[in-house]
This record gives sequence, structure tokens and C-alpha cells, in this order.
Amino acid sequence: MMADPNEKLQFNPQVQIITVSYQGVIKKTDTSLFSWSIGDSIYDLHPFFEILKTLDKTTTTYEALNFPCIHLEEGHFEKICDLTIQPNAKEITIYVYDYTDKYKEVNRIAQEKNESILLAKKLELKNKYLLEKEEFKNSFIANINHEIRTPLTSILGFVEVLEKTQLTFEQEELSRIIKRESLHLNALIDDMVDIAKIESGTLKIAEERFSFQDLINGFRETYSKTAQEKGLIFETHVDTHIQEYLIGDRTRVYQILNNVLNNAFKFTEKGEITFTVSKNYQRSNKLSLTFKIEDTGSGILEEDMLYLFERFTRFNNDPQISGNGLGLAIVNNLVRLLNGDIKVKSIPDQGTIFHIKLPFTFEILKSQVPQKRKKYSLPDHKKKFRILLVEDEEITQFLIMKVLISQGSYFVDVAIDGEQAIEYIEKRQYDLILMDLIVSKIDGYKATRMIRNNYGDSFISEVPIIGFSATADDGVRDKCLRSGMDDFIAKPFEQEELLYKIVKQIAKKAAV
Amino acid sequence: MKLSKKVVLLGHFGVGKTSLFRRFIDNEFSEEYKVTLGVQIKKKVIQLPNNTEVSMIIWDTEGHSNTVEDTRKSYLLGSHAFIYVFDVTREDTYKNIAQDVNYLKQQYDKVSIKVIGNKLDLINEKTAVKNLKEKGIDFDGLTSAKTNKNVQSFFLDLAHEITEE
Repeated sequence: MMADPNEKLQFNPQVQIITVSYQGVIKKTDTSLFSWSIGDSIYDLHPFFEILKTLDKTTTTYEALNFPCIHLEEGHFEKICDLTIQPNAKEITIYVYDYTDKYKEVNRIAQEKNESILLAKKLELKNKYLLEKEEFKNSFIANINHEIRTPLTSILGFVEVLEKTQLTFEQEELSRIIKRESLHLNALIDDMVDIAKIESGTLKIAEERFSFQDLINGFRETYSKTAQEKGLIFETHVDTHIQEYLIGDRTRVYQILNNVLNNAFKFTEKGEITFTVSKNYQRSNKLSLTFKIEDTGSGILEEDMLYLFERFTRFNNDPQISGNGLGLAIVNNLVRLLNGDIKVKSIPDQGTIFHIKLPFTFEILKSQVPQKRKKYSLPDHKKKFRILLVEDEEITQFLIMKVLISQGSYFVDVAIDGEQAIEYIEKRQYDLILMDLIVSKIDGYKATRMIRNNYGDSFISEVPIIGFSATADDGVRDKCLRSGMDDFIAKPFEQEELLYKIVKQIAKKAAV
Repeated sequence: MKLSKKVVLLGHFGVGKTSLFRRFIDNEFSEEYKVTLGVQIKKKVIQLPNNTEVSMIIWDTEGHSNTVEDTRKSYLLGSHAFIYVFDVTREDTYKNIAQDVNYLKQQYDKVSIKVIGNKLDLINEKTAVKNLKEKGIDFDGLTSAKTNKNVQSFFLDLAHEITEE
């Protein structure tokens, strides 16, 4: 950025020559650039000249010093100058060359260059910040999810226990409300976790064979009941050419359709809701289906349609209608993840029609035999089976013990951490271990690996282990199985499901 | 006692040398980025508790793109302190700090050298400290010219230090 001395003539700068004493007093000067006067102390005119104090009067060399591109101000005016300071034995001569115009031009170019670099860096930082924020949000949601699900498991579990006791009508009603609200809270957590996963790109789409007929029948049964309760007509029309078994992500398809059907019922007070499934095309083992859900409800205003799929959007402020504003945002995202398409038409006060197109595949050759859940029973009905429950939270311990002991077929020991679990299995023979994944000292995964690998005694090393956790992540089940567990159950669990899994593992072990 | 001390602000472009300069001298701040060309010099008189009046002559130099060796040597002549400023959010402004400081120490062994990270308003202080420590960056302070955080105290401490030498 410095002016080349050879260019000085070319730019024809104005020059001011000043002679000062070693005490800094101006002895000679013109006023070509600055109106400085003879007798002035140069140190008072500009702080730059303090540099003169460092010059040694007794030096033998008297080398000239060059200071390019110095900003010199006088009052409100500023000039950008090159200065040459030439000392000799008696005095110092200062040559001030004014290059303001040239430097301002150079400045413009440097400004543009630096600005573009800084802008790129700023964007990079902003992006990094957003990513970190996203990561924090997701981990926050995951933690909150875990923290809420654990007490929720207890609430739901104890309500189920309570329901089996002698209750008055009022108590039954209250317990039904607690259960309904807890399930609602659970659904809300599911929605929040789903949205977080979708946004972070960690939601995995499964490819599984499932009974399409069962899925549709499930909706038919559930919503026929709802329709009856609300005095609505619910009709389903399903193309009979659709394969009974399809391959796709059953859970997500259910979630999409259930959300839209649920909304249709929520916002329809009279008339009917029609659920139609038709085949668009079928090629090789691929097919595309359209799900049409049509209601005669309150409809959506045209201006609201733009925000229909945004998070936390609710158009209806009726406090009687529950909802968190996440449902359709999840639906829209899931449809996209499944490579489908969603369209909405609505007329206020007349109704809404959702068209959802989703792709599936199906097996061409394999026989499409329904896979019913296999029934298991305990190998010996007279014997009591001993179960080790590894769980650090007292309330969950109490709940599971109550559920198991009420069956009359189990003894239950409780270990509060992985280390204690290892101590117990070395002392006593267990028929099954229920292992919480997140316990202190040694976690559930590590404890399982130790049980599987460190003991020659097959009673210990082959004991069936079922992991359980409030972290219902997609990978948790896989991680459990990889660590050597036989099964996994997510909190909050249905008592029946827990008992089914326990009986299944004990029966399988006995059959070996 | 009256003393005059020359302090030079050094560092990459866009790290906030001019903002620190303006904040210290005039207690002003502007969001607008303006390239410094060459050097601008201003003076601020500080009264120290030991009855010393120090004229801090601050040289705000043009930022370099690569290394401090690019800075014009005549600007550094007669200095009492160098303040090497970096941007806590831009790694390229501090990744070569050890080499730059080493160069300055070798060339100007009697000059006090301070390293400060600026733009603390853009990042959480704990995160910045952790990040810099992980990268092995030695620094004498972290500042924000925008919020005036640690600016005045830093210059005051420096004035103390260089007048005691």
C-alpha cells in the first residue's frame, strides 16, 4: 500500500519542508500543506512527531527515515502523507509529501477486498453458530425427552395398577383422565422428538414388510368409534387391488395418516369424514398410493394455507381443541422424507381435502402369509422365576416390582447400579435380567457385555437380558442387541408388552 | 513525572485494531468496517496513581494479510509496547501468532509485547478461552471494543507496566 518513491513525481504531490531543532521547535517551514508556524513545538502539532524524540543527535550516520502513508490531521482536515525525516548534526529536516488522492484510491480497492473476505468469514461463523445452536437444541430435546418419559412411565404404570383395584365411579373417571392426559403428554414428547430428528436429519426411514390391511382396519376401528361418539359419519373406501402386505415405514405412514385423520375429526362437528385409498400405478414391485382424507369441517382460510405446514401453527384458538401445532409440520416433513407428496384444498365452513401420495414396494414372489405374534407361556407354571431388576429410580423399581409380583410367577431382586448387578448375578441364579441402560458405575450395555463375556458358567453368561430406557432412539434397540441383550423395551411401556417380552425370553431360554 | 510511550497496534486486517484504538482514545465505536491504510496516530494522556502522567501515543497500523513481518519497520521504530490483536472468531488471525510474537521478540527484544483477542461480543467467553487453550494460543487478554469490555483496563495495565520498566 506504500507509495513507490519513483511515483512521487508522477503523482506530483505537494510538498512541505520543515526544519526543526532537536528540541522540536520549528525553525523553518512553508505552509504548502499545513499552516504550521516557525517557533511552534512540533510535538504539539501531531503525535506522530514524538518519533523525533528517539533520534540521536550524536549518531554518525544520520540516515534518512521514511514513513509512508501517515495520516496527519490539522483541525478537521486529514491528509495522507509520506514523510522523510533527515537528521544532521544540528537539526532535523522533515519532507511531507501529500498523497491523499492516491491513497484514497488504493484504500477503496483494499476496502472491497477485505470486506468480501470478512463477509465470508462472518457467514462462516454464523453458519457455525447455527449448527451449534441446532446441536444444542437437539441434545436439549433428547435430554428433556428422557427426563419426562421416566416419571411418565411411572404415572402410566401406576394408573394401570390403580385401574385394576376396586375404584368408585368417580375414582375410575379421575384415573381415566390422568391416563388420557399422560398419553397426550407422551404424544407431545413424541412429536417434539420427531421434529428435532427431522430437522437435524437424523430421522431414519425404515423399510419393513407390514400388513397394509391391518393398518387400514386399525384406522377404521379407531375412527368409527370416534365418529360414533361425535355423531359423524366415517366412510372408508380402499382399492381392493392393493397388496395386503407392503414394504415401507409403517410407523411413519401410520403417523402421517393418523395425524391428518385426527385433525379431520378434531375440526369437524357435523357431516362426514371420508378416507379413500387408491392405487395410482404399479410397476414391477413398486406402487404408488393416494390417501384422500375429506371432511366437512371448519376448513382453512386462504391466507392461513401458506402457514399450514409450519411448526407451532394453530389457526383455531378454541381452547377445547387440543394440539401443539406440530402435527402437520411433522406430516409434511415425513411425506417428503418418504418421497411422497401432499396437497390440501379447503373451503372455509365447508371442509378440507388432503391428498397424500406415498410410494411403497411389495414382495412379488414370497407368499403373503400374515405374521401373527407368536404366543409364549412360562415353561413351568408351578415354579416361580427369579428376575433381577437393575434400576436406580425407586419409583420405577416399585412399579415394575408391583407389576411382576402381582403375576404370582416371579421373585424380584433389585440392583441399583451395574456394579451391584454383577455382584448379585455372581451370588444368585436368575432367570432373566431387566436392565436399565442408564445406571451409575457400570451402565447397562457394559454390564451386559461383562455378563456375556466374563463368565464360564452358562447360567450367568446366557441369562436372558431385556434392556429398557426412556431414550427411545432408533439406534438404542440396535445398540442393546449389539451389547448382547436379547430384547429392548422403551419407556413408557404397556404392562402387557413388558410381561409378553419377559415370558418370551424365559420360554425361549427354556426351549434351548 | 511526565512520560511519553509509543504503543503500536499490530495484527491481521479486520480484527478490530481501529475499533480498540477509537474505543480507548475517544470512547467511540462504529459497526462500519473501514480499512486502515498506513498508520493513524493519536495520543491519550493517562494519569497513574503514582503521580505519573503518561502520554500514550497509539499507532494504529494497517492490518496485514499474512504475517507481522509485512508491517513497515519504520512504524515500529522507538516503540515501548506492541499490542498484537487477533479476532477470537477467526482462526486465521491467530493461528500464526506464536511465530509472529517470536519474530517481534527477536527483532525488538526490549519492547513489551501483549497479545489480545478482540470481538468477545461475538462469542461466549468460556467457549473462546476453551477454544484458544485447546489450540495452544497464549494471550494476555480478551476484549470487546464494541461493548468496551476489558479495553480501558487493558490499556491502563499496559501503561503501568511500561512506565515501571
